[in-house]
Parts: sequence; C-alpha cells; structure tokens
Amino acid sequence: MLVTGANGAGKTNLLEALHVGTQGFSPRTRADAQLVRLGCEGARVALGGERAGRPVLLELTVQAQQGKRAKLNGASLRSVEQLRGEVATLVFTPDRLAVVKGGPAARRAYFDRSLARLLPARGMLPTDYAAAVGQRNAALRRAAGGLGNRTAIEPWTRQVASLGASLVVARQEALGLLAPAFAERADELGLTEAALDYTGAPPTVEELDARLDRDLERGTTGAGPHLDDVTVSSGARELRSFGSQGEQRLAVLSLLLAEAEVLTELRGVPPLLLLDDVLSELDATRRRALAERIGVVGQTIVTATGADALPLEPAQLLEVKPGAVSEA
Amino acid sequence: MLSPSVDNLVAQLSRLPGIGQRTAQRLAFHILSTGKEEALALAGAIGEVKERVRFCRECGNLTEEELCTICLDGRRDRTVVCVVEQPVDAISLERTHEYRGLYHVLGGSLSPLDGIEPEHLRIGELIRRVGEGGIEEVVLATNPNMTGEATAAYIADRLRHSNGGDRVRVTRLASGLPVGGDLEYADEVTLGRALAGRREL
Repeated sequence: MLVTGANGAGKTNLLEALHVGTQGFSPRTRADAQLVRLGCEGARVALGGERAGRPVLLELTVQAQQGKRAKLNGASLRSVEQLRGEVATLVFTPDRLAVVKGGPAARRAYFDRSLARLLPARGMLPTDYAAAVGQRNAALRRAAGGLGNRTAIEPWTRQVASLGASLVVARQEALGLLAPAFAERADELGLTEAALDYTGAPPTVEELDARLDRDLERGTTGAGPHLDDVTVSSGARELRSFGSQGEQRLAVLSLLLAEAEVLTELRGVPPLLLLDDVLSELDATRRRALAERIGVVGQTIVTATGADALPLEPAQLLEVKPGAVSEA
Repeated sequence: MLSPSVDNLVAQLSRLPGIGQRTAQRLAFHILSTGKEEALALAGAIGEVKERVRFCRECGNLTEEELCTICLDGRRDRTVVCVVEQPVDAISLERTHEYRGLYHVLGGSLSPLDGIEPEHLRIGELIRRVGEGGIEEVVLATNPNMTGEATAAYIADRLRHSNGGDRVRVTRLASGLPVGGDLEYADEVTLGRALAGRREL
C-alpha cells in the first residue's frame, strides 16, 4: 500500500497511528501524552483487518488519567503489552539509520527488541540483566563509599554472570536466525556479503571477580553483554564506519525485511511493515528491487511524496491531506 | 485546606502502600463520619499491633510472644525450614495446609539499589539455625523475580559453605504454569520456564 501526500500532510502520522494501534506504543516517543491532540482528553485507534484469514479488530485508547487500554476483537486485554504478542509490526523511519551508524547502545536496543519478538520466552532477559547490573553497580558504589562491604557484591556478580551468559546465548541465537535472511535480502538490494557478527562473550564470575578493584573504583560493571556490540558489515567493511549513507540505509532495510521473513516462518503470519520515507534516497534499480520484495513479504505500507516514487503498481494507493485520508 | 488535623490524617493515610491522595481523602472523610468509638477502635488496633507484635526470636515471623505459634507447635516437622521474604508469604504457604515444616522469614530480598545487603536480612540467623543441627532440608521460597532469585542463589551458596551446610538439602520452589489455567492464556515467559522445568511422568 502506498501512502502519498505533500510534506507535512500527515503520512508519518498515519504510520504512527498504525504502530500505536498494533503495538501499543509509538516508535517516535515513549511519552503517551504526546499521542493525544493538544487540548483533547484522549486518543483512540481502531484497526480492522484480517489475520490468517480471520477478521481481527484492534482498539487502543490513551487517556490522560487512565493510561492505555487495548481490546482485541472486543475483549479487553490484561495489558497493552499483550498486543505485541498478537500482532508484530516492524517499522522503518529515517532515524532508524542509527541502528547501523549509531553507537553500540542503539544496536543493542534494536537487536534486543528483535530478540523479544523472535524468542518471546526469553524476551525479559535484557530487562532482567540490566536490573542485575544496576544492583551490582549499586553494591559496588555502596562498598566503595563504605556503606556496604565486598561480600555484598558477590550475589550480584553471580547474577550478572548467569543472566549475562543467558543473554549472550539468546542474542547469538536471535542473530543466527536473522543473519542468513539478512545476507539474502541485502544481496538482493545490492549490498554484497552482508553479515551480522556478535562481538562479546558470556561473562563469568571469575572474569568479573578479576576486575573487581577496577569496578569498585569506577562504580560500574566493566564487563558483560551490556557493553557488547553487533558488527554489521558488507564484505570486509564494517558499515558503521566505512559504509555510505545509502549502504547504511540498505542494511537497516535488509534487517527489517530479514526479520519479517523469520517472523513469518515462526508465527505463520507475516508482520505488518511500515516503511516511512524509504524510497527517496534509493536509486532506480534498488527502488525496483525493494518494490518487488515488498510485493511478497506480507502487508507493507510505504510513504512517499508522489505516486511515481514506487516503480510498481501498489495494491492500494492512499492520499493524505491534513486531517483526511482518501483512496486516490 | 479544611482543618490542619484533617490534612494531617490525609497525609498519614496517603503514606500507606496502594493509597493515593484521592483514596486517602475518602478514607479520612469516612473516618470523620463514623462514630467516635469505631474510629478509636481503629486507632487502638494500630497502637496495639505496634505495642504487642514483634518478630519471633527463632524464625522472624510475626508473634506476640517470644516465639511464634508455628515454632512452638510440637507437631511441626522440625527437619524442614522454608525460607520466605515476608511474613505474608508464610501465611500464603500456610493456606495450602500442605507444608508442615518450620519457616524462616528474611525480611525482604537483596537489593543494593534500595540499600538492602545480606546483613540487613536474617541470613546469618538462618546459617546459625542450620549450624545447630536437626535441619535436613531448606526450601528456598523467595519470590520468582530477579531480586528473589539472586537472594535464593546467595543463600544456597552460603549454606553450602557453612558449618553443617553440607548435610542439608537445599531446594527451590518450582515455577511454571498456574493450576486450573489454560496453556492458551499463559504468557511466553511463564510457559518457557514451565517448559525448562518439565518433569518425567
């Protein structure tokens, strides 16, 4: 589906609403108050569609006082987070380029969200691990400040090591699922020999104990998967430092398409893809390659300023004008 | 606002867990509108628990005597001790009517972020109890969350290296599916844990 409209017409707004309605949060902001129109009390998104041949109705309301509530086919969900387990939505926005060209933290956050989608039973690992590191750091600072003692750090060293090891394994597994599809999709888009490599090893109690003095001095845990990275490369070149803007964009797109493919295989239902302003920077050959791929990966919604941006005929063409969406 | 004493009551009530400003106001007005006797009975009850209730010398559970009723009960199995975070956890386990052993209440879980380290919990007392002999099994029943798991792992390790600890069996409560529920409604994390902890039939 192609969504067209002039700059500022509200194309991104429409994609954001689709994301909020299917995932329960905005890709733009975590402050839910920003989803509500100025001067209004609440916001509501209702989406009707079809999933695996059956009709599905999603409703999400955001209210200043009561927070967020979600309904699936008319039945209230216990939490808005449940939406994510029901429908997967993958989104590309221009600021997603940070996944390739940004610092390791942006990559960890991105791949940990993929991990939660690909290995849902282990989706809490990143959060639990971060909490364990937070506790260990607090214990380090208490010990350094004379409030606690060194033995109080022990249980958290152990917890960081065990959760950290599980997290490294889960991340490697998730990357293992993504990597082959990533290489294929990247190749199709003209990015050769694309690879994903995890840089980091499971932390051990011995390793953490060996650096205890340094950790005490700094008040932070200096080893573990909270410092690991994923190298995104094409051939021998690491794209973060040596990739062009265009290549970085292709890599981010390939990651998204790869995950869509793996998710389709795992869940039996393709995810919803939202591609915001992706065509403008691509050359004609790559635009065509992307358009052809989009045609086979399940429902995809692409935005562009004009209908001629997509080299193939879209299944549906929508036009956005401020405050209104119509079929063109 | 209305009167300093009402303000004070609202402020005191809103310090209770789960009570917000609005609820505190409602409670305060309810107390104002009830008879003096009823209101003083509440105040008296609060005073009485603070006056009379203390922690059991042996297990740390709530009691009005030196030792709690469970520790004093001669019919309890003295070879098993169940370690819980709070007295309320012991009450939950008691409701099962399945557990016949003794308890050990830690008073919380390890959390340096909240300033809670091993010496702030009754872990030393547990090691001492085990060291005195007679205990054959320690059941770790801390909460199945991050801090509860860390606390359980820490205690298991301390016991292993303690005097007499090698004679004691250390066990952990199982975690998994809620009984009477449907697989369909279980979340992935719980289901994953249940799968990891599956047993042979």
